[in-house]
Amino acid sequence: MDTLDRSRAPEVGTPPAMTFPEVEDYRLDNGVRVVLWERSALPLVSLELQLRGGASAHPAAQAGLAAFTADMIDEGTTTRTALEIADAVDVLGATLTSSAGYDAGHVRLSILRQKLREGLAVLADIVMRPTFPEAELARVRKERLDQVLQRSAEPAAVAEDAFARVLYGGDHPYGASLLGTRESLQALTRDDVVAFHRARYAPGQATLVVVGDIARAELDPLLVSAFDGWSGLGVDPAPLSAAPAPAQRAIYVVERAGAAQSEVRLGHVAVSRGTPDFYTLAVMNTILGGSFTSRLNAKLREEKGYTYGAGSVFDMRVAPGPFEAGAAVATPVTAPAVADFVSEITRLRDEPVPPDELTRARNFLALRLPQRFESVDDVVRRLSELVAHVVPLDFYAGYVAAVGDVDAQAVGDAAGRHLPVEHMAIVVVGDRSLVEEPLRALGLGPVVVLEPPAPAAEPLPPVQEEQ
Amino acid sequence: MTVEGGVDVTIPYTLFTLGNGLTVIVHRDTSLPVAAVNVWYHVGSKNEQPGRTGFAHLFEHIMFEGSAHVPEGEFDILLEGAGGVNNGSTTNDRTNYWENVPANALELALWLEADRMGFLLETMTQEKLDLQREVVKNERRESVDNQPYGSAFETVYEHLYPPRHPYHWPVIGSMDDLSAATLDDVKGFFRTYYAPGNAALAIAGDVDEAEVGRLVERYFGSLPAGPPVPAVQVPEATLASDRRVVIEDDVQLPRLYMAWHGARVYTDQDAVLDVLASVLSDGKSSRLYKRLVYDGQIAQDVSAFQNGQELVGSFWIVATAKPGVDLDELEVAVRQELERLVREGVRPVERERAVNGVETSFVRSLERVGGFGGKADRLNEYHFLTGSPGFVDRDLGRYRRVTEGDLSDAVRRFLLDRHAVRLDVVPRGRRGVRADGPAG
Repeated sequence: MDTLDRSRAPEVGTPPAMTFPEVEDYRLDNGVRVVLWERSALPLVSLELQLRGGASAHPAAQAGLAAFTADMIDEGTTTRTALEIADAVDVLGATLTSSAGYDAGHVRLSILRQKLREGLAVLADIVMRPTFPEAELARVRKERLDQVLQRSAEPAAVAEDAFARVLYGGDHPYGASLLGTRESLQALTRDDVVAFHRARYAPGQATLVVVGDIARAELDPLLVSAFDGWSGLGVDPAPLSAAPAPAQRAIYVVERAGAAQSEVRLGHVAVSRGTPDFYTLAVMNTILGGSFTSRLNAKLREEKGYTYGAGSVFDMRVAPGPFEAGAAVATPVTAPAVADFVSEITRLRDEPVPPDELTRARNFLALRLPQRFESVDDVVRRLSELVAHVVPLDFYAGYVAAVGDVDAQAVGDAAGRHLPVEHMAIVVVGDRSLVEEPLRALGLGPVVVLEPPAPAAEPLPPVQEEQ
Repeated sequence: MTVEGGVDVTIPYTLFTLGNGLTVIVHRDTSLPVAAVNVWYHVGSKNEQPGRTGFAHLFEHIMFEGSAHVPEGEFDILLEGAGGVNNGSTTNDRTNYWENVPANALELALWLEADRMGFLLETMTQEKLDLQREVVKNERRESVDNQPYGSAFETVYEHLYPPRHPYHWPVIGSMDDLSAATLDDVKGFFRTYYAPGNAALAIAGDVDEAEVGRLVERYFGSLPAGPPVPAVQVPEATLASDRRVVIEDDVQLPRLYMAWHGARVYTDQDAVLDVLASVLSDGKSSRLYKRLVYDGQIAQDVSAFQNGQELVGSFWIVATAKPGVDLDELEVAVRQELERLVREGVRPVERERAVNGVETSFVRSLERVGGFGGKADRLNEYHFLTGSPGFVDRDLGRYRRVTEGDLSDAVRRFLLDRHAVRLDVVPRGRRGVRADGPAG
């Protein structure tokens, strides 16, 4: 027999505070900046060598160059073949990856502490001495071309690429996918890769973020030894040109015949990471589409059942990045779902946020903070984001207080400035025969039909019907 | 048990059982001011009946929609307001739920879990069921119907296991069966499976063990034990011959799936097959990657994996063809490599690479207390699938004992000497090959 009074939720009491250690921030003699967060709970070390300027450091016409270069650095060095590099990492039980985003290149190593010396030697080798062998270049280029081909069959990827292109146009680096296009990848030469590597993978462009069971006194000799002979300033990335002025609102439709769902994206070119409204936008977006109880998910999933999940994000970068709201919605409800997106964004702009919703959003951000620092890889990601976006490293020490200072007035003002719903682009990837007319009937703006991504790069083999 | 460098991968715990049969496992880790709550119910799609597939997962959704003392929507509102996150998942074998909260909100999470374990049906309505049915249908559209290669796994399962086998049908269910689910199904399912005796509660993080004991007794102690759970009938799953299936999908590149009956999870053979999968497809030098992707360039990607499950396991090799390459060519290359492995044996360094990766992953898995795969989740998994939350000690030993000879034996015994299901996923209009013909 249950006699307990369960009618009220237990009081949660005072949340524990998280203390942040002083992060060491210094330079090696060759100019590499080192950011070190020592944490000795487990014998693990995670680190990122970050190179300034990713896809934003080359023209949009060379789309894919930053990621292609990152993909190529472990395909052979002056001392190791591609297979020897892979074997050297695997036998250490480590992971070593290289990739590029819009604003930075990332070489990441995650390894047991006692194997750090050997792991660093491989990392330094691929960063300092890649040879970009022609045969490996041809193989990796073909792999990436075939990824472009596969991406053209993924509705969410097609929506992301169309959205970026509509917002930024063909001349801005943020307007192209990081992978690049068939045309751009075919046009890239080995000289392009060599030149990009020379400009970017230099001590003067590099920051090494190290987190884990290692003190500076032990780390520095390892670094000096691993990066022996590495020098040079590289080339500072040029500032990005401004994104195109916002267009009149329009709905862009990409055909995917027979699709069970439509991939929907709405948004505009919003703010850079340096915006003074950072905390206000974090709280505002948590309310709009940044958590499970957010308005977009509550409306489109929990009230209407249109989707498995809806959300939104301010993708802040060095230059103004996109605000993007989106969901995959059932084909027959595509137009009503788009209308709900627009009305929820409009409502946030036009009506004050109730106090309980504001408190919940602030708590969700501030009280969850310790959970974002659980693993050494987590901490590397947090610090690397700060480095890439030129944010002071003591950022998180002031985070809880700054989030707590955001009030309803600030959220309302920020919504007015940063949610220009009349100018947002709306992208829909879906079955045109079923969604185009209902979308037009919404009266939100003209419907523009975009070409689907290019089909196969080469003819498919002949079909044999033997059945 | 320690790995190189002296780190102990053991997860210390205390275990007690309430009068109603609820197993409680507590692990203290004060590295961050966080508490993780994790509940496993020993029910998954294996407990469903044909015609009602997808129900265990649909039910998981309903568990978030409120209970007697928690109004609809409040479950997430209260947790987010306290700085918590939560989720749940359903597999063939089990359903789990977790909350990660700041340590001060542990009691809130326990109150919420207890309310839906004990008092879900009081506020259950047709409207809640109908709404979540639509959400789940959209989940199916997003993960299966509108996803390239999205129906491959359920198609292979359908052919790997006979119609009455509990793994024959997909966890997410069919659209027809989802439509057929009734409110009575919800009630019956809850009363049969969602009782303390069929569940275990793991709590990990910055918690006081005595306080946890008190709170758990307070919120869960008076819940009724529930009836015995019906046994699952498991017909033998063997393939009398190779099976070949072809489906068309909105894809650009054809993909080959090969699947065999493997070993049950947490058996010694399960570890052998895990290591074998790594030898076959982890890293540029791995057998299949090097042959198909790196040297031959006839595949865009290849992966091998052991899928150990509670009732029986399966071993998979999946490869995507380069444009213009026939899937038969991929299968021939895969089988040649398997035969070569048996003929020439595995070199010690191949085994060493794989086992070193496993050792690192055991250390890394100690970093998280909560969420999927965090320490609370793993304690529950070991408890349910091996009978001991402390199995981690023996778990790593399984991998260390694997020898080169075990690996080539496993290729012969589990792959070459057994029949396989081969599934071809091809672009629409490209079904150029015979269906149901002999493989290889």
